Amino acid sequence: MNSISFIGRRLLQIVPVLIGISLVSFFLIMMIPGDPVRMVLGPRATEEAVTAMRQEWGLDRPIWAQYLSYIGNTLTGDLGQSLKFRIPVLDLVLQYLPRTLFLVAYVLVIALPATILMAVIAARNEGRWPDQLIRVISILGMTIPVFWLGVLFARYFGVKLGWFPVSGYGDGFVEHLHHLFLPAVSTSLWLAPLLTRNLRAALIEQTEADYVAASRAKGLPEGYIFRRHILRNSVLPTLNLLGVMIAFLIGGSVVVEIVYAVPGLGALMVGSVLGRDYFVIQGLTLVYAIATVAITLAIDIFTAAIDPRTSE
Amino acid sequence: MSLVSVQGLSVTFPSEKGPVAAVRNVSFDLKPGEILGIVGESGSGKSVTCRALLGLLPRRATIGGRMIYDGRDLSGPAEIQAVRGREISMIFQNPASHLDPLMTIGDHVAEPLRFHFGLSAAEARAEALKLLESVRIRDAASRMDAWPHQLSGGMKQRVLIASALACKPRLLLADEPTTALDVTVQAGILQLLRDLNRESGLTMALVSHDLGVIAEICDRVIVMRGGEVIESGPVRDVVTNPQHEYTRLLIGAQPGRLPQMAEPQEAPAGLVDLKDVAVHFPTRSGGGIVRAVDGVNLSVRKGECFGIVGESGSGKSTVARTIVRLITPTGGRVMFEGKSVADLSGADLTAYRRAVQMVFQSPFDSLNPRMTAQQTIAEPIWRHGLASKSAAMERALELMDMVELPRSFATRRPRALSGGQCQRVGIARALALSPRLLIADEVTSALDVTVQAQILRLLTRLRKEHDLTVIYISHDLTVVRKFCDRVAVFQGGRLVETGATADLFASPSTEYTRDLIAAAPDMDQAMAERA
Repeated sequence: MNSISFIGRRLLQIVPVLIGISLVSFFLIMMIPGDPVRMVLGPRATEEAVTAMRQEWGLDRPIWAQYLSYIGNTLTGDLGQSLKFRIPVLDLVLQYLPRTLFLVAYVLVIALPATILMAVIAARNEGRWPDQLIRVISILGMTIPVFWLGVLFARYFGVKLGWFPVSGYGDGFVEHLHHLFLPAVSTSLWLAPLLTRNLRAALIEQTEADYVAASRAKGLPEGYIFRRHILRNSVLPTLNLLGVMIAFLIGGSVVVEIVYAVPGLGALMVGSVLGRDYFVIQGLTLVYAIATVAITLAIDIFTAAIDPRTSE
Repeated sequence: MSLVSVQGLSVTFPSEKGPVAAVRNVSFDLKPGEILGIVGESGSGKSVTCRALLGLLPRRATIGGRMIYDGRDLSGPAEIQAVRGREISMIFQNPASHLDPLMTIGDHVAEPLRFHFGLSAAEARAEALKLLESVRIRDAASRMDAWPHQLSGGMKQRVLIASALACKPRLLLADEPTTALDVTVQAGILQLLRDLNRESGLTMALVSHDLGVIAEICDRVIVMRGGEVIESGPVRDVVTNPQHEYTRLLIGAQPGRLPQMAEPQEAPAGLVDLKDVAVHFPTRSGGGIVRAVDGVNLSVRKGECFGIVGESGSGKSTVARTIVRLITPTGGRVMFEGKSVADLSGADLTAYRRAVQMVFQSPFDSLNPRMTAQQTIAEPIWRHGLASKSAAMERALELMDMVELPRSFATRRPRALSGGQCQRVGIARALALSPRLLIADEVTSALDVTVQAQILRLLTRLRKEHDLTVIYISHDLTVVRKFCDRVAVFQGGRLVETGATADLFASPSTEYTRDLIAAAPDMDQAMAERA
């Protein structure tokens, strides 16, 4: 009962955020210098043609009316037409989105178990060689640029050894796994150390917590105390970081998608920016923003499920 | 035959300046069924001794000497692990942090039963319910699935006791189990511990800084200082006939033994008047309101020391913050010399801020860690433009003399000062602007009793010398009784009663005040009652 009202309250809080997002993505187009109609029709269009198009697009109406029809269109799934591909932006996004989501999920499947394993080993051996080794690996992983690693991997495993394809997305689940392996690994090599450092610090901090001393005084075994008490309490801060990182990955998969020629959202974004495909940029902005909101919401609900204090 | 025999225990911690001995050559015995008190001030090694018995010290600690439990030598981790929870258990000072926030209270109690006795989840749960009932948690069945944060401090301590006693250990180590609790709650917990000792013969070691608490329930006491046992014996002998000079000092510093510092005067004019003051906050989830303070009328007279007592949540600190205008009351008015404080602005407000100064509870946290004692004291003087920076620094040295801080401490930062010294800096800073009213909010509750006695003496002297009016906020009735001319008792945001200290203590007019007075631990009273 309590958790339902918590989710309800949390959903209500999202409404103003969504309105803000729609305002930003609406004014994004307004703020582009120059007249969109002239941009479409070209510099040599006649005054009549421009006026006709303005009327056709509704640009002669007051701004609030334009905003309302933008909201109406967005709610009905109409994000406009891509100027380059000449198909609805929504179709375009839906075509590219699954690939990026697949990549992000793939990264998480690789990075999360690695994170937990490394953080637990490091924390339980604080200051000793396994901890030092993991620290060195982490620093390397975080400092080596993803694009450099990508190029290196593509050349060695892709071209030289021929184990993995160096571009594209493939058909079917197994081929996706094969095609996206190198991109997922090179992203994980950066993400896992980041999360590991965070989780390791939390684990060490919680190991010193008073309730751990109390558990020891009760004679509970160390392994159980670690699993049931320390790990659970340590996961919470890392979970928040993970949320931020997933949102960042969805928007920030650009580099790895370009290097490995994965036709995902990042690649679409770069193409649209270079090609001044404004409605696609606007649509993608909206998608990114909504994805971030959705992930934050999911993390909050997840946190509330673990921590009874947050849902009150 | 003693249950526990500690022989020549020493604990050393490494530090940058070489090893530091926290405990040196400590020996004592615990007979079955007795309650041993371990008393000492901060840094005396009393908690470390207790923790060493259960192997709860950090790995870097070096432990020497022997600890023998029931004929078994607790020499290594395996031997200690064998008795933890089963034979020896422990409860701690701060019950809130010693419960896992992500575990229900039923599970906290059931947990050791499953490990030590191999009970099934259902059996352990049934047993946990009985245990929670035995520590007198009301309506235990419905509390089984409650989370620690939903319980009050006293209830949390009861849960901790239930989970420590789940496997029927023979020895309970209690490390300051009531220090973080209100006096009436403390009385309940002490009663519970005493009953457990009588009914099931539970042997106990009670660590406390408070001789009043020790005197109430312990049979024997050992007095520790600087890591060493300096005196031990039956509580009565130690209290009535202390051998060591430090023990005498400690006993003399008990609030009940302090000289009477209050000297009520003939009703002078009022300085601060609260008229029907209310402070309401909206609740966090919205909707409701919290009545932090409601309908408070009181008058503080010029030159008196006015005590405000109450338990946590009684609104006493909120009243203080309202008077200094850190909080705007949602109803009623605060008057200072007949003028409404809320209407002050500009120069009048600045003057008011100078006239009313506050000293805070936590001596360390209320000082800027990056500033020296002298800078801290001088800051308000030059910030208020009362003197140049160099003149202010000079004046700060005089203020240090006034609060009896050696001038050689002028360049020290809070970290290099003790709690009592930090509090002196805090007082000097408050006096820097020559205030008329000083509000002291629990200024001695974080300090050792001997330091508390010094600070109280200092405040009494300053009060006379500077014609100060003092509002002294405290949870400690015994201190208030010695220190304040008049007292106001708060409960749940309301003023319960107010009156001259002597009258109020002699004949409290409400039941709540009577309970509070009865619950306040007092060494001499406890000894008298046990006779």
